[in-house]
Amino acid sequence: MTRVAILRYPGTWSERDFEHALSLVPGVECHTLWHEDADLAGYDAAIVPGGFTYGDYVRAGAIAKLSPATRALRRFAEAGKLVLGSCNGFQILCEAGLLPGALVRNGGLEFRCDWVHMRVESDATPWTTGLRGAILRMPIAHGEGCWVADDQTLADVEARGQVVFRYTDERGGATPAANPNGSLANIAGVCNEGRNVVGLMPHPERCSEALLGGTDGYRVLANLAPALAGTAPAIYR
Amino acid sequence: MTFVATIRVLPKSEVRDPQGEAVRGALRSLGLSVSEVRTGKEIVVTFEATDEKAAREAVRVMGTELLANPVIEDYAYELKEAAPA
Repeated sequence: MTRVAILRYPGTWSERDFEHALSLVPGVECHTLWHEDADLAGYDAAIVPGGFTYGDYVRAGAIAKLSPATRALRRFAEAGKLVLGSCNGFQILCEAGLLPGALVRNGGLEFRCDWVHMRVESDATPWTTGLRGAILRMPIAHGEGCWVADDQTLADVEARGQVVFRYTDERGGATPAANPNGSLANIAGVCNEGRNVVGLMPHPERCSEALLGGTDGYRVLANLAPALAGTAPAIYR
Repeated sequence: MTFVATIRVLPKSEVRDPQGEAVRGALRSLGLSVSEVRTGKEIVVTFEATDEKAAREAVRVMGTELLANPVIEDYAYELKEAAPA
């Protein structure tokens, strides 16, 4: 049984969706933990869901990074455990320095609520095993999802294979038109150097069953069970 | 001692500022020849510290740990001793 902790901060709103999506994955047991006293002992993976923690005050994710849960998450990530952040969760992971770059106001200033396509650029993370090259279709809903970094960081992230998801059209072309928010190099999601921490703006938990209009999120979340059961690359065992 | 720090946070010059671009467009609609607008925020913090050196260290912590994200923002500040009540 893979034990998954879902972190809930004030203003988190996607934790129930993750609970439901993970209930569809065989061999996964999940619990939502309140940020003030989140104890990650005994868990294999942690998820930081979307929302508007602390009203996005100061910057999206800035106040949540100082929460006790984020400190616990940092130790959890350093121990090599699996961490996934989606939407505001991605913003929190970047603010906390667990992932490179930062997320700023969308290039067009619009809040984007839409379905997008993205290509899986790396299957060397436990969250994307077997998905390299797959074009996934997922919903987004954010006003501050434009991923930016300085030139050196961008070059490093590309060279080290830390780009996990890239916005593309449905045929896999990373065109400007396929970029919903102005992110550098159409980047939709990145991982840390250890590859155990992944963040993305789209919402895998909102497309994990056909009833919701798509199942590509399930293809990501379903990795949780086998990744920890020993089918993933040795580095994650 | 009580200090008041006025901390100004702005996006780094190389980071695009879509809000500033929108404000620039709006100011131009007033007939003004505005070439560039950068938007940020000003945060005024009243706090206790033993002396000015400690106060400046406290502001550094505020700036780097929360108020500005060094990946995308710079900050500057003015520090004053609070006027006695």
